Amino acid sequence: MSKDKSSIFSPAVSFKNLFKKPETIKVPEENKKTAKRYRGFHINDLDKCIGCGTCSEICDNKAIEMVELENVKTELGQRNERPKIDYGRCCWCGLCVDICTTGSLQFTQDYTYINHDAESFSYIPDNKNINKVESEIGYERDQYSELLDLYRVEMQELNAESRVKSFMEIVKGFSKKQAEKEASRCVECDICTEACPASMNIPEYIRGIYDENLEESLQQIYEDNPLPEVCGRICTHNCESICSIGHRGEAVSIRWLKRYAVDNVDLAEYNKILGTEKIHQVDKKVAIIGAGPAGLSAAHYLKLMGYQITIFEAESKAGGMMRYGIPEYRLPYEKLDKDINYIKNLGVEFKFNTRIGENISLSDIKKDYDAVFAATGLHNGRSTRIPGTENNNVYQAIYLLKQITKGKKIPLTKKIVIIGGGNVAMDIARSLARLQKKKYGQVNVLVTSLETEDIMPADQEEIEEARAEGVDFEPGRGPKEIIVSENGSISQVCTNCCVSVFDEDMNFNPTFDDQDIQNYDCDMVVEAIGQAGDNSYIDDNYDIEYEGPRIKVNDKQQTSLSWLFAGGDIVRGPDVINGIKTGHNAAQGIDYFLKNNQKSS
Amino acid sequence: MRSENELIKLLNRDLNLLSFKKLRKQNISIRFENEELVSGLNYLKSQNYIHLATISCVDWIEDNQFELIYQLFSYEDKISLSVKTRINRKTSKFVTIKNLWGVAKYYERDIHDFFGIKFTGNDNMDELILENWNEIPPMRKDFKTRQYVDKKYDWRQYHGQE
Amino acid sequence: MDKSKMTEMFFGPNHPGVPGNYGINYFYEGDTVVSAEPNPGHLHRGFEKLMEEREWIKNTPLVCRICVMEPDINEMVYAMGFEAIGKIDIPKRATYIRSIILELARIQAHIFSIGGNCGAIGLYTAMQWGVLTRDYILDLFEEITGGRVYHIYIRPGGVRHDIEDVTLQKILDLLNDLENNRMPEFQKLIFENPIAQKRWKNTAILNQEDALSLGVTGPALRATGLVHDVRKLIPYAAYEQVDFKVPSGQDGDAWTRLKLKKDEIFQSINIIRQLINNIPDGPVSLNLGNALKYKIPNGEAYVKIESSRGEYGYYIVSDGGLKPYRVHVRGTSTPLGLYGVESLLPGCRIEDVPIWAHSLGICPPEFDR
Repeated sequence: MSKDKSSIFSPAVSFKNLFKKPETIKVPEENKKTAKRYRGFHINDLDKCIGCGTCSEICDNKAIEMVELENVKTELGQRNERPKIDYGRCCWCGLCVDICTTGSLQFTQDYTYINHDAESFSYIPDNKNINKVESEIGYERDQYSELLDLYRVEMQELNAESRVKSFMEIVKGFSKKQAEKEASRCVECDICTEACPASMNIPEYIRGIYDENLEESLQQIYEDNPLPEVCGRICTHNCESICSIGHRGEAVSIRWLKRYAVDNVDLAEYNKILGTEKIHQVDKKVAIIGAGPAGLSAAHYLKLMGYQITIFEAESKAGGMMRYGIPEYRLPYEKLDKDINYIKNLGVEFKFNTRIGENISLSDIKKDYDAVFAATGLHNGRSTRIPGTENNNVYQAIYLLKQITKGKKIPLTKKIVIIGGGNVAMDIARSLARLQKKKYGQVNVLVTSLETEDIMPADQEEIEEARAEGVDFEPGRGPKEIIVSENGSISQVCTNCCVSVFDEDMNFNPTFDDQDIQNYDCDMVVEAIGQAGDNSYIDDNYDIEYEGPRIKVNDKQQTSLSWLFAGGDIVRGPDVINGIKTGHNAAQGIDYFLKNNQKSS
Repeated sequence: MRSENELIKLLNRDLNLLSFKKLRKQNISIRFENEELVSGLNYLKSQNYIHLATISCVDWIEDNQFELIYQLFSYEDKISLSVKTRINRKTSKFVTIKNLWGVAKYYERDIHDFFGIKFTGNDNMDELILENWNEIPPMRKDFKTRQYVDKKYDWRQYHGQE
Repeated sequence: MDKSKMTEMFFGPNHPGVPGNYGINYFYEGDTVVSAEPNPGHLHRGFEKLMEEREWIKNTPLVCRICVMEPDINEMVYAMGFEAIGKIDIPKRATYIRSIILELARIQAHIFSIGGNCGAIGLYTAMQWGVLTRDYILDLFEEITGGRVYHIYIRPGGVRHDIEDVTLQKILDLLNDLENNRMPEFQKLIFENPIAQKRWKNTAILNQEDALSLGVTGPALRATGLVHDVRKLIPYAAYEQVDFKVPSGQDGDAWTRLKLKKDEIFQSINIIRQLINNIPDGPVSLNLGNALKYKIPNGEAYVKIESSRGEYGYYIVSDGGLKPYRVHVRGTSTPLGLYGVESLLPGCRIEDVPIWAHSLGICPPEFDR
């Protein structure tokens, strides 16, 4: 232990400071610059912000409140709310800036604000902070302080070489662990619900998957959608296009999560889980024409209200375009049957092979039933009517898809050209590719469409998958003529360049350049350019109002005849989820009509 | 210096343990019945577990029990030992260990303040941290802070900038 | 004890002689304390209950407010407890950065504490110097983390941002300045000051037996001769990769404890230099998924680290849900602030009570929570 040094002169070292410049900074004459990462007052880009409310969710002091702003409107992908920050509660921790889904909320380097009015400390930040001056950006989120899970769990799919050999379902589905990880990515902002045409309770059923409570998921799904096995595979997923995580990362795989939830609940448990073991019966009868998505949806909701339901279906099985239009590799028949069987087991009566206008008339139905819902769909293909389409080797895509579904043999040649750029063209192209691969060992299918690839109406995923399976594309071509050789077989399709598809008013008005001609060799042509319906069963007896080509209905799907309701593709397309929504609306409309026996509002 | 496995073997041999678990490196937890706890702590103190870090309490409301955890540490073995026991939530009574470690008086007084557990033998159970508290002990799971605040205080309404 | 001859003194919560808001009620006769009682609870904010009602990520801005002098230790132990129960391994660079931040926090806490101790005996110049020197370290924290006192920088999974090389160089420059310019001035003003020496030697003695039975750790225990430091007993972060000594003393009085604080500052400077020279490259945090849905399995953990005053521990219990089931904070000065007052203070002179409170490192926010 050394003796501690001490001297009476040692403290005199402090006298050195008499001659030094003081180290204090005299604010406000001098000012100390804050560091770049300082967490000062907030600013928010009101155009970039979508009002998702995640900042309000993560603030641990409840300092952020979402308030409605007048000059912002609710539209697809955003709400009319913006964050309002209360600086009496905020502690400047920065969690809101780290988790902001669009990156619009940021910090400046400013930190002084003086005001004798306490109300002024709570305000809505815009591009200027609370001092109403432009200020430098301070703390910024980077890849390490990220609080969101930006990337999707990869979905296992069959690869292109193996899948083109059969009609086996391409998507394999999530495992339990994958589904829970994907479900944890959701921030429950609820913007997707507003974009879904059927307003499904999306955050709630995703939460059910995360909590390992699939019964809750099933109940939430069936509130608005009685065909989840179908939509979980082929829905056009408007929800995913505007998911808030999709702004800076990849959207939550909402469709695959729905598929996981319903795939893993046994059909035998549905009645118990959904509370439909006993339904109170009402003594009124409703007829539904067409067992497609709109008809099945209306049948489901009307049956739950207690009405006696009969569905008249022209084909031998239910499903409409879901069965006869969508190929099996996208929607296996057994999964479609699971959804239909649940509706059938509720007590809905099906009359198959009964075509309205042929086997039975609309007035016959009106006599026996209290209300009628028409959802006959669009089952006739349109034709380009270019010279050569009258040849026997020119087919309609819808006709061929129906034959494939029924298991019947269809004409299949070695070189096929398909005219059309929508999802139906993709469906027939990929189905024919599989059949060609089986019969001839190789694929030779060419798809030509008016639209160039960037504006093709088909889903981008379908186009890419088709290409991988060997389908060729020639977009931006207009069909001019089908060249027939002397013995009656087709030899080529002649096309010119399609310069533009829409005119200035965004009407369909294609223009062509006849100087640019290209011919493609083929021996079979398939047209897939659009669908039309057949409403002659109504028009022969009754006078209803039309709006252009579609039947005119009010918001409860009621036509100008008070007892006749219409929904599905004949009223508004173009996909399954919109059909389901019109079916649900019609069920509510019919219920109101039958209870009040008058025109519903 | 003993390893974790040697310690567990020794404790299993000499004491009447209800359960034991190696949580991770240098961290073990063991559980006793109520009657065995004080003698168990006495034995452990003689085996060089002389450092009592703190006494914690957890409210397992669904099992209707409180759990008392005594955090011990040995400077020789360098192992943190969590010694646990469960008591009935309704009677909420236990014995004091102030004769082994005098500082336990204050840990027990703190637990009484927040959980309402009485320690027989510890004569000073006055309020330590709380003051003039009239509700149920606040760290219990059935005490809801939001309801208490709504009952006792008025919320100031203010609207912010227009 | 004949209370009629004694005077009751409320060495109350508002007093420059106590470090923080904390009261000691004692009876004294003549000049000597006869019996004493602690009066804690003035800084009770209800943290443990608040933490049970917030998700795991939302507790990170809350925990740093439990100890005002050295907020990083709270963030560190919370993150360590979360990672221990969830069996998460963080990247190596993150452990080095965490150690650098903790050592800088230790240096500034020691400097502030030395200044506070001088204020307790009347050497106000040193108190101002302590605040000033600490301010330069807070400037560095502002540049690294974005906040001066409450950093909210250490998170489960790593740290929040990377440190640039420019900033690392600034840390080294500041440490050189501390070691060569400022610490010698402290040494001359305080530690070679005969009045201060006489005032502190043989005052507020804590002997080894009392210290062990109370559960005292840190400089107060090391001043009695034992060399126990959590960084060597249960190594955490990057402490196994550096080489450092743990200073200790013999006498157990206030003078030894303050000298230990000064020696530890030099050791910390040494540790930070080694860490900066050997810091590896790589990411600084793991993405643990959506922060609003952090989940760890069922489990419990008692984790502890060495703060500037001793062992600081959290006992965390998780029931597999989105919120912690129970978080129990074990402050360093809990035994001294509560039982130590009752058993150790009697026999002390009343003018030595502030020295006793300051030099043992009693920090009331830790045990009031």
